[in-house]
Amino acid sequence: MSSVIGQSFIDDLALRHLDAAYNLGRWLLGNEHEAADAVHDAYLRAVRAAGTYAGGNERAWWLAIVRNCCLARLALRNKNKRELAIDDGSTAPERWMPRSDSDDVENHVDSAQRQSMLKQHLQDLPLNFREVLILREIEELSYREIADALEIPIGTVMSRLARGRDLLQKALAEYATTQAPHGL
Amino acid sequence: MDCKIASELLPPYFDGELDRTTSRELEAHLDGCAHCRDALIGLDALRTTLREEAPRHPAPELLRARIRKEISRTSVPMQSAAFAARSRHAGWLAMAASWVVMFAAGGMWMSMRNHAGANEDAQSQISRDMFAGHWRALAANSPFDVVSTDQHTVKPWFAGKVSVAPLVQDFTAQGFALVGGRIDYVGSERVPVLVYRHGHHLIDVFVLSPDHAPALDNPVQSQGYLQETVMLGGQPATIVSDMGGADLAHFAQLLGSVK
Repeated sequence: MSSVIGQSFIDDLALRHLDAAYNLGRWLLGNEHEAADAVHDAYLRAVRAAGTYAGGNERAWWLAIVRNCCLARLALRNKNKRELAIDDGSTAPERWMPRSDSDDVENHVDSAQRQSMLKQHLQDLPLNFREVLILREIEELSYREIADALEIPIGTVMSRLARGRDLLQKALAEYATTQAPHGL
Repeated sequence: MDCKIASELLPPYFDGELDRTTSRELEAHLDGCAHCRDALIGLDALRTTLREEAPRHPAPELLRARIRKEISRTSVPMQSAAFAARSRHAGWLAMAASWVVMFAAGGMWMSMRNHAGANEDAQSQISRDMFAGHWRALAANSPFDVVSTDQHTVKPWFAGKVSVAPLVQDFTAQGFALVGGRIDYVGSERVPVLVYRHGHHLIDVFVLSPDHAPALDNPVQSQGYLQETVMLGGQPATIVSDMGGADLAHFAQLLGSVK
């Protein structure tokens, strides 16, 4: 009986949190095709693993699977590198740079610049810090949910979040001082 | 409350994770402390920046359509089947579907397998998960959640975090020092990982359940890293490391001898 519930439960879960899954994939993998493929993999794996879902936060369970599929792809991508370069910020594709809707041309340029700068700073953060920031600030997960999704203790979530915020604030502040004439 | 404590409480307060009483105390401190108020404003500014400049990427319609298609493919045949057959079917169909995807992905998995058994598929997935876990640990600031060279600290740390706490033994005398442990994810299972060090090599030992373990005595290699599975007490344990084959064999033998 539970397997029947399992299948529709997974379908519903995946569709309901598809945006969250895809957004996480985009920030971990840095490009849209791989993010979509990773989410697709994750759905298949979730269906297979439905029997192992032991209750608890379902969104965190689903995102944990998505994240694992992303990490598996990162590992494959880096197969020629002895050192694991998990953040290949240098090759981060420009094509998914967020677009601004501003009609003011000057504003538009400024805003596009700021977005690309922030994106770069985020991509430059070590994966551990980047993912907690995305899950907390963009996906608005609670500490408990983040801990479940990343399979780490809540204390670690808090310390990584604090460190990640600190690193990003410092990077942005540094950038602001070097760009003083333009302001930020 | 002093600024040191306040600065530690600020993030959970800002994230709405602080209990009411402590929040009141913190607010009392904030009333009189411009420095901590600035820190709070900083947190808020960062969040605003992130939400405005790093917008959430919504899933493309194409992906949504792909998942829906997958759902209709896996659920239609199930409706006509008996309950018992359903769960088997679900697994089998998902497996078959995942094969279609893998072929579509460009055959990059092909080098990893010759004959496509479902079991083999699941096993190489487990293998990949463990390699990924190991590499992630190498890339992280710390490859373990509990740092200890003392087996009597590491073992109890696992209790309550995983269903079966693994046997933990230190092999410093033999050149393989226990340095800590962590919890990792293999498939969708939480598993304990023992972390050892041999010279500059980091060694992960994933302690698995018998149902989800790679075959014994069947080393797997990927990008200069090796995996080998041995029995640790009553549980299969997969060693992942970049150390040489001879060292790996020695270590595998040590682990295998743990009673």
